[in-house]
Amino acid sequence: MPLDTSIYPLALLRLDGRRWNELRRIHAQVSVQAAADGSSYLEMGNTRVICVVLGPAEGKDKGQRGAREGEAKVGVEIAVAGFSGMERRRRVGNKRTSEMQHCLSTAFSSLLFTHLYPHSTISISIHILSQDGSLLAACLNAATLALIDAGIPMSDYLTACTVASSASSSSSDTATSDPLLDLNGLEEQELPFLTIGAVGEKVSVLMLETRVRMERVEGMLAVGVEGCKRVRAILDGVVRTYEKKFG
Amino acid sequence: MPREVEVSVNERAFIQQALQENVRLDGRAFDAFRPLELTFGDEYGVADVQLGKTRVIARISVDVTAPLPERKFDGIFQIVAEFSPMASPAFEVGRPTDAEVILSRILEKAIRRSNALDTESLCIIAGLKCFALRADVHIIDHDGGLIDASCIAVMAALQHFRRPDVVVEGEKATILSVREREPIPLSILHQPLCVTFSCYEDGERILIDANLAEEQVRQEEVIVTMNRHGEVCQVAKYGGATVEPLALLNCINMASQKVKEISKFIQTKLEEDAKKRDAGGLMAELSAENER
Repeated sequence: MPLDTSIYPLALLRLDGRRWNELRRIHAQVSVQAAADGSSYLEMGNTRVICVVLGPAEGKDKGQRGAREGEAKVGVEIAVAGFSGMERRRRVGNKRTSEMQHCLSTAFSSLLFTHLYPHSTISISIHILSQDGSLLAACLNAATLALIDAGIPMSDYLTACTVASSASSSSSDTATSDPLLDLNGLEEQELPFLTIGAVGEKVSVLMLETRVRMERVEGMLAVGVEGCKRVRAILDGVVRTYEKKFG
Repeated sequence: MPREVEVSVNERAFIQQALQENVRLDGRAFDAFRPLELTFGDEYGVADVQLGKTRVIARISVDVTAPLPERKFDGIFQIVAEFSPMASPAFEVGRPTDAEVILSRILEKAIRRSNALDTESLCIIAGLKCFALRADVHIIDHDGGLIDASCIAVMAALQHFRRPDVVVEGEKATILSVREREPIPLSILHQPLCVTFSCYEDGERILIDANLAEEQVRQEEVIVTMNRHGEVCQVAKYGGATVEPLALLNCINMASQKVKEISKFIQTKLEEDAKKRDAGGLMAELSAENER
């Protein structure tokens, strides 16, 4: 039963048969919801999210809470469906989702040209339908697509992916450590990994939550930036085919 | 909801211009921490950290409860961080701001999830009784660098803390009071410490340990948690301005140096404190620890 990643060094194939630098299948659609200003549906392997963007519209609460003078506020709401994980859960990780919300909100408020929409709110709401690793990356990618669909100007795509380091953090031989791109849920539980969100060659979001030797991080970052570029090409393809069909 | 007083336009421009000329308002180098002060309380497990004008007190307390049913062999360890209005008028009780959520989340990831504390050693009888350890973080004064200061405080307090000894006979566990048996230190596997970097001018200038004014002017923060063995426990960069990957690697290298320095500092302070407590030189005899 090949349920752990320890067999990787033997065959150089991962649990789902991928090589180290292969992404999972990314399927994405834009304008999936007619009522919203922008929307997207994204699958990265078995991780599925729907993202809806409303606005820029007049802010609901008075006095522009939390937003800076002369800029639009980016509000993010993430809802995790009870059936999205392996076990049904009523309320899933309160603090974790609010951390993700904070991450998306800060990432996009500096990426979008918020100065064009003073006194307004751009609200992004994300529904996580199925979780199988790379959750934050999927949310970032879906939000990018939905914001493009909503026609809100931004400097470039913000695309994200995850990278793991395949040897466990305790062994110090660097020869056997291999970065792995785009993890699924099982790999994520076993390996130290980071989520990277890049705009072009530069890093916008970086989250590392497991212990790893500092020498490993360099290789992981390099593979991550490369992976983000490939995700960008895929998302760009999605936007352009949509544009040809309906534009 | 009260809001933090924002820095004025003039002040903002002043700080930014000074940074362009490679000067910080308090005259520190870009990679320098503010003077760090660490004192321990009379009781075990109380650490008071002063980082410049920021002041944080961490207190460890212990209780005996039943372990969680899905983790029978582990004790319970939780970190509770709350901002009180005492530190800054912008904080309100019962309404966690973003900063508060981030602080507790970072501490959780840095200390709890990286297994800094061996929770298995807190187990008394599997499935029935265990120690529940609680670290309370109190923010007394807020002048930036809360995450770094809180992490130092919690780690120092954990290393300072001594839990009461227990004697187990079958299903019966007796907690021995401090007078009966010398309490034992916690088993700490490694010491994660946070270093916060603040970036200005699209990642061109990176500061360590920004104070409140500098924090309000910065474009983004990168929080790196490491231990002195050169392991990265956690990195968090929540959006904000984009940075070259190389600059991030630089941050990690810098953090590793700083963490070594701070670890050493905590160690010397702990030794000083131990010496003060060991008045009659009896500690070695009283200790229930085995020499390994």
